[in-house]
Amino acid sequence: MKFKLLGALAVVSTIVVGTIAIMSPDMLRKTATSDCGTVSITEMDWASSAVVTAVSKFLMEQGYGCEVQVVPSSTVPALTSLAETGEPDLLTEVWANSTPAYEGLLAEGKLVELTSVLSDGGVEAWWIPAYLAESNPELTTWEGIMANPAAVGGKFNDCPSGWACDIINNNNLIALKAEEGGLERFQHGSGETLQTSIAAAYADKAPWFGYYWAPTAVLGKYPMVAVTVGEYNAEAHTCNGSVDCADPSFSAYPAAKVVTAASQAFVEREPAIAELMKNVTFTNAQMGEVLAWRLDNNASYDEAAVYFLTNNKELWANWLNDEAKGKLAALLK
Amino acid sequence: MATYDWFFNALGLRDWCDASTSEAPMSMADLLAETGNAVEEPFYAIPFPSLDALNEACGQITQTRDVVKGLEEGFLAIRPALRTILDPITQPLSWMLDGTLYLFTQAPWFLIMAMLLLVTWYATRSVSVMLFNAFCLSFFAFVDHFEPAMETLAVILVCMVISAIFGIPIGIAMSKSNRLQRMVIPVLDLLQTLPTFVYLIPLIFLFPIGESRLYGIAITLYAIVPIIRLTDLGIRLVDQDVIEAGNAFGMNARQKLSKVELPLALPNIMAGLNQTIMMSLAMVVIASMVTAPGLGVLVLRGIRNLELGVGLMAGICIVLLAVMLDRTSKAALSRIDRAKSKTS
Repeated sequence: MKFKLLGALAVVSTIVVGTIAIMSPDMLRKTATSDCGTVSITEMDWASSAVVTAVSKFLMEQGYGCEVQVVPSSTVPALTSLAETGEPDLLTEVWANSTPAYEGLLAEGKLVELTSVLSDGGVEAWWIPAYLAESNPELTTWEGIMANPAAVGGKFNDCPSGWACDIINNNNLIALKAEEGGLERFQHGSGETLQTSIAAAYADKAPWFGYYWAPTAVLGKYPMVAVTVGEYNAEAHTCNGSVDCADPSFSAYPAAKVVTAASQAFVEREPAIAELMKNVTFTNAQMGEVLAWRLDNNASYDEAAVYFLTNNKELWANWLNDEAKGKLAALLK
Repeated sequence: MATYDWFFNALGLRDWCDASTSEAPMSMADLLAETGNAVEEPFYAIPFPSLDALNEACGQITQTRDVVKGLEEGFLAIRPALRTILDPITQPLSWMLDGTLYLFTQAPWFLIMAMLLLVTWYATRSVSVMLFNAFCLSFFAFVDHFEPAMETLAVILVCMVISAIFGIPIGIAMSKSNRLQRMVIPVLDLLQTLPTFVYLIPLIFLFPIGESRLYGIAITLYAIVPIIRLTDLGIRLVDQDVIEAGNAFGMNARQKLSKVELPLALPNIMAGLNQTIMMSLAMVVIASMVTAPGLGVLVLRGIRNLELGVGLMAGICIVLLAVMLDRTSKAALSRIDRAKSKTS
């Protein structure tokens, strides 16, 4: 008898607590009329993408009344998911050159390119640490490195297998006869070890030479100097992008196309949001500044977004349509 | 108005607190409040007195992010000392891995296959297991996965040997001392559950990335746990009557260990070794993320490049490798068991 009473009490209290939780103001707010429905947006596993997502989420929720669902992801799973299932709705910071699958999907119409979210394009290059460039200025050119490969550590830190830069760098190194010159190509197992090797080299002031890209937290925190090897050559670069390139010749990297992608269905469903995302762009200087601030202050991605939003009001005000500007008027003052 | 203001005011610490203002960056909640769309917290949403919540009330309390930063700086500070200790200890691991990898990849395929099948025969004396291993090795070679498979096998074998060399003595020591067992068990729990990348990335600060000991340590630390646990268990489970009989015969501790306890604990120890091999194989892909060669590289490539077939094929090869080693070690174990039960 006593247990039955306790059991009943447990059930009733669970129902009460559950109702309170469901009826919390957060949920009530969402049932209010909104112009826009649910939008799912990816948050990739690197810093600049997470900042883009946080800023976009804030603008979508506060300016357009959407319910935004953030989907943690990375490039290839997100692209696959969008192409095959149409979800998530928005893909942030797709590095088109680094993903061999991207062009095919674009051509098939499985996704739509909204804008170049990093308007300057990503910078991909071969770098040496700033302290090394200072002590040995000849190492900022390829001839200098080939004259003394041991001075940069004797090896080229290359991208993991499966990244487009893996194939491109390999072909470039073959074209430059790096192996014969005494420079070994060391392929990292993951992007994490590549960036940690930079941090570790900096901690020891050890030599380092390899591939990396900007804007990233690593290049923001550890100043690096790009090595001048040669010019960009479109034909050579295209050949270098394929494993079967018969006779590779060197080409520097062009500015990398970094885009926001969406499905065609999403663009038709939420044209206002598509317009907003077409306007959300950052220059490398702006993104670099936010990332550097984030590192210095040990901030979270949300706080970095807040920093950007509070310090660049005129900039993002132009991204919004009039209705959204009205809703965010209190902030834009 | 922070939630815990009253606490510091009541203690009279208001002046001390205000000496250092909270330098936290503006949070999203504050921005939403400015927008006029503050999230209304329900009445029961009192924050736990965490470091961040207390910091809002009193600027002198450090924030969690500063504690986290302190951890990082502490690690970087002890790095030189750690390096001088760990470098010589782990160098043999690098040599063993490099040597075995060289042997397994440079020797021609017929030599390696013959050697592996001979070892299988001597360990198991079972024709069916030897035929199965021959089939698996031929399958790897047939689909052009022989070299990655041999690289993975080399790494697994070295880590298995190191795990056995260190794990069995630790297990024996643990079985003799309850205090040691109480101290070691939490460490084993930690090794099995701490995400590998958490300690692997700091290790890159200690050892250069090109060194094979990085992934050797990763695999060994994860795989050594079963053999330690099962050795400890096996020896503790030895029948006390048999130990008493040993005492009655006047055996000293070393004789008891080698002649009574270890032989009787052998099934458990072999089960531990079997699990060690399985767990090493489970770590293959993570090891490849820190530059281990072998099938893991192919799996990662398949995942990153949307080449599902590549990943699947490499995965199948890993499974076959696991089954091969599992069958071999089980057959070897049952042979030892049979040999024992014949003599007893």
